[in-house]
Amino acid sequence: MTDPVIQIDDLRVRAGWRTILSVDRLSIPAGQVVTILGPNGAGKSTLLKCCLGFHRGLTGEVRLLGREVRRLGSAGLSRLRRRVGYVPQVLAAHSEMPLTLREVVSIGRCGLAGLLRPLGRGDWLIVDEWIERLGLTELAGSAYSDLSGGEQRKALIARAMVQQPEILVLDEPTANLDLFWREQIVAVLEELFHQIRLTVVLVCHELEVIPPCCRRVVLLEAGCISADGPVEEVLTNGQIARLYGEGLAVVHSGDRHAVIPSGRDPR
Amino acid sequence: MIDLTYWAPVMVGGAVAGASTGMLGVYIIGMRIPFLGVCVSHAALAGAVFGSLAGLTGPMLLVPALVGAVATAMLLGMLEPETTHININVLMGLLFTLSMGLAFLGIGLFPRYGISDNDVRNLLWGSLIFCRWNHVALMSAVAGVQVVFVVLFYKEMRAIMFSRLHASAAGVHVTFVWTIFLILTAAVLTVNFQTVGGLMIYSLMANPAAAAFLLVKGHGRALAVAMLLGATSGFGGFLIAAVTDLSTGAIIVIFSSVLVAVAAIVNYWRRRGASR
Repeated sequence: MTDPVIQIDDLRVRAGWRTILSVDRLSIPAGQVVTILGPNGAGKSTLLKCCLGFHRGLTGEVRLLGREVRRLGSAGLSRLRRRVGYVPQVLAAHSEMPLTLREVVSIGRCGLAGLLRPLGRGDWLIVDEWIERLGLTELAGSAYSDLSGGEQRKALIARAMVQQPEILVLDEPTANLDLFWREQIVAVLEELFHQIRLTVVLVCHELEVIPPCCRRVVLLEAGCISADGPVEEVLTNGQIARLYGEGLAVVHSGDRHAVIPSGRDPR
Repeated sequence: MIDLTYWAPVMVGGAVAGASTGMLGVYIIGMRIPFLGVCVSHAALAGAVFGSLAGLTGPMLLVPALVGAVATAMLLGMLEPETTHININVLMGLLFTLSMGLAFLGIGLFPRYGISDNDVRNLLWGSLIFCRWNHVALMSAVAGVQVVFVVLFYKEMRAIMFSRLHASAAGVHVTFVWTIFLILTAAVLTVNFQTVGGLMIYSLMANPAAAAFLLVKGHGRALAVAMLLGATSGFGGFLIAAVTDLSTGAIIVIFSSVLVAVAAIVNYWRRRGASR
């Protein structure tokens, strides 16, 4: 039995007088693809930030790759984060950004190369390899700000992958993307899992984003885990009704899942 | 005919200030925090005002000015938006108004202690035409430190310019590099502030970087073009002012703005050509 890559015990996060996250226990072993699902404000992104040491005001124990994140200083956290490919929700794109896609992807190698050391030939080879693997070669020299939302999201996944991470953590990777790009991102995650058996933690609130390789879903509701288990067992009409309200039905089609309206026709 | 014995340090000083602030502008505009220049330079002014009250005069005012600027820069570095829940631009607005409040409070006390406000006035508006070789040497030395910093932390600054969150996620020592950058920003702005003044320093920081972003893509290219355009603004603006016998500072500001307009037109035609 391998050590869990993420181990949480008695985690509590407060915002003022309100407890916004309360997780008694969560363990994610290596090699699993886990989806953390829940409505807006359920605490999904906060949970990820706690795991990565971005959230300071917490109590309890959070272990990432065997290290207790609360005990680490900023240098220790930086070293730990180099082993994790974290793709935040924010695309960081604005027209004043002069960087090219290749330069953005190379950011993933900056921490690993170390301070005062320029990126070497080996680093750039890894950068170009992942740009190619994600089908972005033709756009490598383009300005990142000129790319579409889907292309930017892929670039950020490439940025995380050039870190050669032990775990990939994605926070709503398909936010604001159309169906084409959503399926592209799902396909990328599926490929990554099958090619390198990467541990993936995915946060989303749409069932359609859950890739076929995902076998475990954690439901987060008002900061607490309300269900944790195999996809078909957790994603039931009852659970979805409790999370999002009545009038919705879960559809399982092979290894993919979706929610459709099932209420009475309003006409 | 221009008397080079007198005007050479003015021309070189304008070019060095333009190149130095242009380089800084790439990061400040790239991070969308243009207010940083105004905030830090006015903190320098507040420092100089209290230096005057403490009896310092002339070049010695640079010391309290630097203390004010560095203290503000470090405060900005320590107050993380995630902890304070205040956007960095709002935070800079607060610190700017506080600096101005302190500066005017101090200036209001000058008559009470019989202190002349000439030195502080020069600091606020700058005096490029009185720039001498010793000023140029100081500006060049700080610009040199700035170049060394960018060379040493080139990849980290690229990551931080993209996004501090993404840089942290990639394991970059963001707090360390960001704090050094802010201190260096304070030093560059303070040293250039006494020569080129508040308004010109802002235009020399923002305009060359904005023009560079319109003309080229890529970190290194943007830095090179912004430095070149900054130096061109300082040097070219001076020449135009000398020929037309108009105010040097004002012409440099207008000239650097014209360069942005030209860059915007070039960018427009280039995009139009590409879309055909």
